[in-house]
Amino acid sequence: MLSLRALRRFLPALASALVAGSALADTYDVKLPPELSTSPKLCDYAPCKDVMPGATSFSERRGQPPFVEAYKDEAGQKKLLGYVMLSTDITDIPAYSGKPVVTLIGMDTTGHFTGVKILKHSEPILLLGIPEAALVKFNNQYLGKFVGDNIEIGKSRPEENLIGLDAITGATVTVIAQNQVMMTSGNEVAKQVGILKPVNRPQARFIASTATPSWAELVSDGSVQRLVVKAEEVGLKSDGRPYMDLWFGYLNEPSIGRAILGKYGYDGLMSRLSAGEHAIFIIKTAGMDSFKGSGFVRGGLYDRVQVRQDKDSFTFRDLDYVNLWGVSASGAPAFDESAIFIIRGKSFSAAYPWKLIFLGNKIDKETSTKTFANFDKEYWLDAKYLEGGRPKVVKPDPTWLKVWKERAVEIGAFTVFLLLISVAYASRDKLVRRSTHKNKWPVNAFKYTAWVVSIGFVGFTAMAQPSITQVLTWFHSLLFQWKWELFLSDPLIFVFWIFIIVTVFVWGRGFFCGWLCPFGSLSELLYKIGQAVGLKRFQFHLPQKLHDKLKWVKYAVFFGLLAVSFFNMGLAEKLAEVEPFKTTFLVGIMNRSWPYSLFAAGLLGLSIFTERPFCKYLCPLGAALAMPTTFRWFGLKRKEECTSCKACAKGCGSLAIDTKGNIDQRECMLCLDCMVLYYDDHACPPLAQERKRRTKAGQPLTPINGKGYYIPIHPAPADKKQEGAAA
Amino acid sequence: MTIADKTELRQPAYGNAHGLKWLAAEAWDHLWPWAGRGQAARKLIQGAGFALAIAATVAWVLAAMGRLEAGAIIGWWFGWSVLEVFVRLDAKPYVKEGPWWGHLYRRATVMDMICYVSFKNLLIGAVLFIGLKSIGALQV
Ligand code: SF4
Ligand code: SF4
Repeated sequence: MLSLRALRRFLPALASALVAGSALADTYDVKLPPELSTSPKLCDYAPCKDVMPGATSFSERRGQPPFVEAYKDEAGQKKLLGYVMLSTDITDIPAYSGKPVVTLIGMDTTGHFTGVKILKHSEPILLLGIPEAALVKFNNQYLGKFVGDNIEIGKSRPEENLIGLDAITGATVTVIAQNQVMMTSGNEVAKQVGILKPVNRPQARFIASTATPSWAELVSDGSVQRLVVKAEEVGLKSDGRPYMDLWFGYLNEPSIGRAILGKYGYDGLMSRLSAGEHAIFIIKTAGMDSFKGSGFVRGGLYDRVQVRQDKDSFTFRDLDYVNLWGVSASGAPAFDESAIFIIRGKSFSAAYPWKLIFLGNKIDKETSTKTFANFDKEYWLDAKYLEGGRPKVVKPDPTWLKVWKERAVEIGAFTVFLLLISVAYASRDKLVRRSTHKNKWPVNAFKYTAWVVSIGFVGFTAMAQPSITQVLTWFHSLLFQWKWELFLSDPLIFVFWIFIIVTVFVWGRGFFCGWLCPFGSLSELLYKIGQAVGLKRFQFHLPQKLHDKLKWVKYAVFFGLLAVSFFNMGLAEKLAEVEPFKTTFLVGIMNRSWPYSLFAAGLLGLSIFTERPFCKYLCPLGAALAMPTTFRWFGLKRKEECTSCKACAKGCGSLAIDTKGNIDQRECMLCLDCMVLYYDDHACPPLAQERKRRTKAGQPLTPINGKGYYIPIHPAPADKKQEGAAA
Repeated sequence: MTIADKTELRQPAYGNAHGLKWLAAEAWDHLWPWAGRGQAARKLIQGAGFALAIAATVAWVLAAMGRLEAGAIIGWWFGWSVLEVFVRLDAKPYVKEGPWWGHLYRRATVMDMICYVSFKNLLIGAVLFIGLKSIGALQV
């Protein structure tokens, strides 16, 4: 345990040593003062002036969610200049790392952004490779833009009133999250201060009814909903109880209201409401904390529950609270806390879906810092209560879906490409039979096409080079929190991974590595080019014995990264720079600092002289894929004679064939050279021998069967021995 | 098949079972790393294997009762996996060759066994881990 603790301490130290001097190192996982999120004086702990140029003083935090007002002195008078907000006060949208990017945002009194500053982020992708300037440039795109505009990552579409922002290449997920953070934060504050007006929705008209449904009926038709927050979701240790177990519902609808409050209770409550006011009830049936909270003291505001309808949120003050003494509906559960809250915002309409939001704090176990976390549950009155049924509501696509729609053509083309190459490989028996050891074009035409597309389109253009960091991220998501959205937000990588997982089990890693990996393809292409331009005499393979030792290095690299990632994901991601992929495709060899460029260029340079040095000895992704390749379903063919014949082994650029003629599928790149030989009666020694024997004996050269032999001339039983001897 | 040398092929512990019997025997083979009756195995490795397997099982039970942290259970599972490699190399030194629904096995090299055990235990571990997490017994 002691050593674990020491390791935990040592790794972050190593991490900071590694990133010292690199871009964005100063905001990467920095320790922010705890007062930043708790003190009323936000600007004592945050550089508010940086995001609100010209401001001379700032108010304390106010509002819900909180923000501060920025003033400047004008002739001794304080003039309101705008508002400054801390993103994590308002939203908990996580970025790629699963943690939020803590951002300070300034907005003037007309709702235009005046400044954006990142105080802390945990995005390894921004650490190395992508320069700080890129993020600053990205953030600067917001300056002067209006908070009420429809701003998204991607191309502008004036016909849809959509303003597009340029993404940071290679960090799309991060900037998509960042955009949501900017817009959500800006909107929340703009609505509170009246810059953005609430949407007016047509009010619901209820169908008259005298029914008084039971609790079970209310639950089954969705008139009562349940919002459960587990203890671990807020970073607490579970003692079997949930942190919060709330039931809630809408009371204005007469049959629901009567069922919950009883006839008199309902009538009494309705008589207290003016037109356009709505009541909801909440009961807590179990939990470790109060949903009303103690914060209610703070400005008379209930700061743990909120109602949100689309972009409008409704908070509750002490005057919006009414006691709920009991629930009349038969079969209602016992509760220990209850409330009726009145929604007074004019824009609320029960005809449309809304959400009850529980605003919690998540406590980070390691640092004991609190971060904002909110939980919600949707509520929408059943159509049977509404005159004319439910109105049509178009819900905006989730971000990942938007990305998929936007890149549909690219995704389609990529999928077709993968399928075509798979079909080609699945037809390998036909292709290798058409090839000879002197002319391998029937195979190579497909393979080289795959390489070129992989390098040009997948690698350099779409930047969809798979990486070990994705494997590490899965391990972590598996352990901590699996979020499909995270993986879906990069569609090509997502499609590629599904494809890789399937093909690794069907054929082995050789198909991806040998045919489709952008870096692997580039590496082998350079080797082939070297061969073609007369460098062949300088090309070499390591001796088999040395190779058989060095090939284990890549597994050590993989396990090393995996182990480090359990302690410190950031460090693991940095160490994953052992993959030159980011340098080669994402950032560009010429654009990175020299150690990275030298490393990538060195590996590629070496590839001209020896086949795929990186793949053979270093690649952690190759190693990670090689391990399940142990159980690939369909391998290559071998004949008995392969045990003593060394022809294929000599030609195997991957040095994957052992002295007994067995192929190590973990090392094999499925280049198919040995399969060409297998059927080539001028190259496969036992086959060539048989060809010569038959020619001499004047026997016909029959076609070669699937086992790599000429079809026996005489009926099988009598001839088998003879053929065996000849072979 | 990628094997040229037929002497590398092996017969699994359960022999020639077919159909449902085969499926059950195969499942047993994945879950029970120790030698079957009448098979040779070194006592020391068997014994150590049993001991650690019991400890790892206890660890899972503790985790299910909410008495063990996620990190600890991962540690136990990893430790057991390392020993399982030795136990299997001793008692059941073979891995499947070709399709999973086939009946062909080959001699396992150390690396084959590491790959097999880590992959199998990753799947078993993930199922248990996610199961325990979803019932709220384990916290990360
Ligand atoms: S070993 Fe690595 S770099 Fe080489 S082809 Fe495979 S994944 Fe790509
Ligand atoms: S020659 Fe055969 S064994 Fe070697 S890499 Fe190519 S396909 Fe694999």
